[in-house]
Amino acid sequence: MIKTGSRSTNSLPPEPVEIIRSKACSRRVRLNVGGLLHEVLWRTLDRLPRTRLGKLRDCNTHESIMEVCDDYNLDDNEYFFDRHPGAFTSILNFYRTGKLHMMEEMCALSFSQELDFWGIDEIYLESCCQARYHQKKEQMNEELKREAETMREREGEEFDNTCCTEKRMKLWDLLEKPSSSFAAKILAIISILFIVLSTIALSLNTLPELQDIDEFGQATDNPQLAHVEAVCIAWFTMEYLLRFLSSPNKWKFFKGPLNIIDLLAILPYYVTIFLTESNKSVLQFQNVRRVVQIFRIMRILRILKLARHSTGLQSLGFTLRRSYNELGLLILFLAMGIMIFSSLVFFAEKDEEDTKFKSIPASFWWATITMTTVGYGDIYPKTLLGKIVGGLCCIAGVLVIALPIPIIVNNFSEFYKEQKRQEKAIKRREALERAKRNGSIVSMNIKDAFGRNSELMDVVVTEKTEENMVKKEKGQDNGNTSPTRWKWTPKRTTSDTSSNKSFTGQEQASPVRATSPSSPQHLNVQKLEEMYNKMGKTQSQPNLNSKERGPLSKSGKKRDEMEMRSIHADRAHTTAEGVMDMRSMSSIDSFISCATDFLESSRFSHSPISTQPSRVSANPGLETTLEHESMKNPVGPPKPGRTMFSDSPRGIRISNPLKTRSLKVNFFSGETTGPTAGSTQGGGSAALSDSSVVSDRSIMSPEVSVYTTASCKTPPKTPETLIPTVFTFHDASISKYIDADTDEDDHLQDGPGSSPSDRLLGNTSPKLSNSSHQRGANHLDLSQRMLGQNSLFSLEGRSGSGQENHVISGDRGRSKTINENN
Amino acid sequence: MWSLPRSRSSSSSSSSQSDGGEKRQQQREISVNIGGVRLALRPELLNRYPESRLAELANCPARSFDLISSLCDDYDPCRREFYFDRDPDSFKCIVEVYYFGEVHMKRGICPICFIKEMEFWKIDLSYLDECCKSNLSEKEEELAEIADKVRLLLDDLDGLDGEPEGPRRWQKMVWRFMEKPESSLAARVVAVISFLFILISSVVMCLGTIPDLQVEDSEGNRSEHPTLDAIETVCIGWFTVEFVLRLGSAPSKVRFVLSFMNAVDFLAIMPFYVVLTLTYLGTAMMELADVQQAVQALRIMRVARVFKLARHSSGLQTLTYALKRSFKELGLLLMYMGVGIFVFSALGYTMEQSHPETLFRSIPQSFWWAIITMTTVGYGDIYPKTTLGRCNAAISFLCGVIAIALPIHPIINNFVIYYNKQKVLETAARHELELMELQSLEQTPGGAPRKLDATWDGTVRPSRSDTHIPLLTAAHGTVAKKRSVS
Repeated sequence: MIKTGSRSTNSLPPEPVEIIRSKACSRRVRLNVGGLLHEVLWRTLDRLPRTRLGKLRDCNTHESIMEVCDDYNLDDNEYFFDRHPGAFTSILNFYRTGKLHMMEEMCALSFSQELDFWGIDEIYLESCCQARYHQKKEQMNEELKREAETMREREGEEFDNTCCTEKRMKLWDLLEKPSSSFAAKILAIISILFIVLSTIALSLNTLPELQDIDEFGQATDNPQLAHVEAVCIAWFTMEYLLRFLSSPNKWKFFKGPLNIIDLLAILPYYVTIFLTESNKSVLQFQNVRRVVQIFRIMRILRILKLARHSTGLQSLGFTLRRSYNELGLLILFLAMGIMIFSSLVFFAEKDEEDTKFKSIPASFWWATITMTTVGYGDIYPKTLLGKIVGGLCCIAGVLVIALPIPIIVNNFSEFYKEQKRQEKAIKRREALERAKRNGSIVSMNIKDAFGRNSELMDVVVTEKTEENMVKKEKGQDNGNTSPTRWKWTPKRTTSDTSSNKSFTGQEQASPVRATSPSSPQHLNVQKLEEMYNKMGKTQSQPNLNSKERGPLSKSGKKRDEMEMRSIHADRAHTTAEGVMDMRSMSSIDSFISCATDFLESSRFSHSPISTQPSRVSANPGLETTLEHESMKNPVGPPKPGRTMFSDSPRGIRISNPLKTRSLKVNFFSGETTGPTAGSTQGGGSAALSDSSVVSDRSIMSPEVSVYTTASCKTPPKTPETLIPTVFTFHDASISKYIDADTDEDDHLQDGPGSSPSDRLLGNTSPKLSNSSHQRGANHLDLSQRMLGQNSLFSLEGRSGSGQENHVISGDRGRSKTINENN
Repeated sequence: MWSLPRSRSSSSSSSSQSDGGEKRQQQREISVNIGGVRLALRPELLNRYPESRLAELANCPARSFDLISSLCDDYDPCRREFYFDRDPDSFKCIVEVYYFGEVHMKRGICPICFIKEMEFWKIDLSYLDECCKSNLSEKEEELAEIADKVRLLLDDLDGLDGEPEGPRRWQKMVWRFMEKPESSLAARVVAVISFLFILISSVVMCLGTIPDLQVEDSEGNRSEHPTLDAIETVCIGWFTVEFVLRLGSAPSKVRFVLSFMNAVDFLAIMPFYVVLTLTYLGTAMMELADVQQAVQALRIMRVARVFKLARHSSGLQTLTYALKRSFKELGLLLMYMGVGIFVFSALGYTMEQSHPETLFRSIPQSFWWAIITMTTVGYGDIYPKTTLGRCNAAISFLCGVIAIALPIHPIINNFVIYYNKQKVLETAARHELELMELQSLEQTPGGAPRKLDATWDGTVRPSRSDTHIPLLTAAHGTVAKKRSVS
């Protein structure tokens, strides 16, 4: 029953002869890409011998095949690639037709990654799709660059180890980040009030009634208003100086446009004072007076200080800087219009008696005022010809001004959106950091702990799976009779209220249930963090997967691997990483690309998916369980009640949220909870494989959804009961992110804050289902992750496939058979 | 291991789906496997379109393997399953023609790619439904534009090697020198100088009208300052040389004359020479006053030189393109304005009649007021004084705003679309060229494949790009040669 090529069963790799024979006996090959089955002629693949698929043809040894694909099955003549199936359709079509087209919905970045993976150069993309592809890609690249830049800027704010770093940091937060604390907010408001006040004072100052007459008979400032001015300037100066002192990078601070504005707002005052004081005696001279006047006018620059407090003003500035091309166009249009119409009107009007159109430069003013439809009426044409020219000038002006404006507006709205999003991202990140500082998030600890344990894990877990299982069983036996998960972990801590670190240690060691104890909340957070960390990486390492394919990869991505630990097979890591990576990448993508991506994905998730998913979902699930069985069996007859428990929590955890979610789900969740509920009661003798089959499948489906949602399949004729549940999962996890994205700081903070205790409680209490209830929808994400493992796990071990498997896989998700199975 | 049960279940389920499940009928059904997706189809159904590939397949006798293998890629006689190495997604859309008589393109599939699939299945393009056709035509338009662009780029790249020695070679060189600023550094310098001359001459034209800068001649007539006159002459000299060189080197004289930009060039230099001839020769033939009037009239035409700037600015070209494209909307705008002007000037005239010191003396005179009000310029030289007249004015400028805003939107849209498209086309054309170069490199046996990981091998040729332009077949060999040399 053990198949060649499935490593999880530790069977010997097939001989090259076998591989050659298998390749020779059929003209076609089956390619399973992320669960989607394709059938293609070997001949077709030969057309591009240097690509990944072309190489597959030439591979005759187990190792070389494994280098090319992720898994294979010689009996079925099937090769598995753990990639996005959506892009693959177009790539396979390239082999078939020689023309590379791109699916319209594909993200250009992910498509280019896919192309990299399959070893196809993007230059082959047809022109019809190329324009779109390059446009999107450039856009994305630009956006990514910008994002990375801002991130780097944020990183750059690290404080050096000079004196009183702590205080300076606090001061900096207080002055620069109004959202960081209540006091900072108050400070920002006061600052705004001062700006407004000083501007009002400045304008009131020019009212003749409020002005005083000095000794030279010249009007000077009102003394009261001068005091107000002095106070405002003092505040601004203090603010500027404090900012300057607390800034982490002095030169960068000095260069910042907003800080230059600040400086310009306060400098004129001091210059004026300096000039008046030093030249008291010569003040009557006109020159000094004029200089002083100029500096006084420069005070109005302080109104620009408001830009610091307004995103809108900042994006206006950005827009103008960005769209100088279009602005240039606008000015060029206007200039040409003015030139033409003023010369025309000059020739039309110049013979008129005491005309105001004395020369072409003189009529420039008229043309400007007319083209902008201001129309003061100080100059207007009087002859008929002049009036005709004037009328044309009006209409042309309206047209010419209106044309480039939409482009600028577009730029503006883009920037505004971007700015808003960045603000939110910063907020989110700050909340994250705060939470980390408070110690309510354990993700860092997990990483550290994992780093320490990883070597050990590598050795121990891979070699001594069986032992682990025994240990687990023992732990379970020796520990409380209450079937908490903790009792099964080999490294048991003495008390249930263990610290976070030991807790994580256990988590890694327990292979099967590794992910379940960890709070989904923290996984979420971890993901977020990952996103941030990888922001730059996506650019620099477009081909992460191929890199990680190498043997070094084991120690490469520890965090990712952490979840994968539970898989004992040695090869599992690499593929696991493949998946995790892809997912995290996609999550980055979705984060980076703006809200439209969310929309898109949610759209996908609603779209009913046809045949393939169910097959895939059912199939690994079954295999997983079978393997469970085979692993457990050697240990000895498992106590039914407890072994049940090993599976039942999952079933419950998954099904509960589903139940609350939608009616449609009920049918399905009923199926899942039925057996598992029975097992929780210790009713014991229900077939182990049965319950786990159901629960596993239920778990599997969301994972599949992750794949299939991206691949756009034709809508099925009959809606499936399985699929809706899947999508609720997907949706939920997305909305989770969106939640984090929006301003639910408290939520984010509350979650991690409460979760450890929550978790511990859940652990100690025998009712696991309770804890899952408490966590609510959050662990959807977790379950998805778990699925990630499971699917891998099972794909590795595509051995001993059961009978149901055939049926399900044979019928591609037609609900009829599914129902039969269920 | 899996495949057997799966295919059984799929065939059984598909047969039960397709019909009541008579055994005989099941026998006659043909099952097709398109790139891994299996379908069972009834021959009657397929025969609705006997031209199509599937119908031919259904009709051909079971023993004629040659015919079958020419129609499909693989054949399994015992299951009577035909395998096609095609895209299953597109097929799912195309197969609908047998059921519904029309094909709808699935969203996301590239229309060009879809058309190829339809051709493969021998389904006529006319079955593609109207709603999807617009999508297709849009894409085709874009492709045509890219092709144009590529042709232009190719023209630029075309070397002089093909030309024989002699005047034709010179002609071509001069043409590229004058018309294509990208072709060489010298050409770019010439373009910049030309641009500067336009600017200078425009400024001089304006300055020349300032009274302070004018000098009085012996008869008390004001004429231009001699320095300005000299500059003007130099500029005109440059323009003339430019124009003559262009005209001389133009490959097609007719097209050159008809081109808008060249007409502008001509108008920019013509007045100068006409004035010159009139002042020297005209006095002999007609009165001095007439000559001066003619000279004055011709001066206005100097304004045309401002339009010469359009040659150097892509933004202006975009503007002209947008205006050309939205001729209808411009007409609409003028019509709205015209109707508005008539109505409101008449209304304003009648309503202001009651006022003794009215500024509205006649309807044609109040046209001016209507224009100025409707465009919201409002000089204030004519304004209503009665209450009714003021109400009328308020309504008229509201209507004016609407009348202008409505037709302007499509014009702006045209402009923005064209403006954005310009950038996209640029990259697309560049990549198309690269693709061509790549393919021609592969065709030449000595040419080393540029991309190691993604070249077609020598035996199986890729079909040509869909966007392939007949013109390029001859050209791309030379392009590649040129590129590889450089």
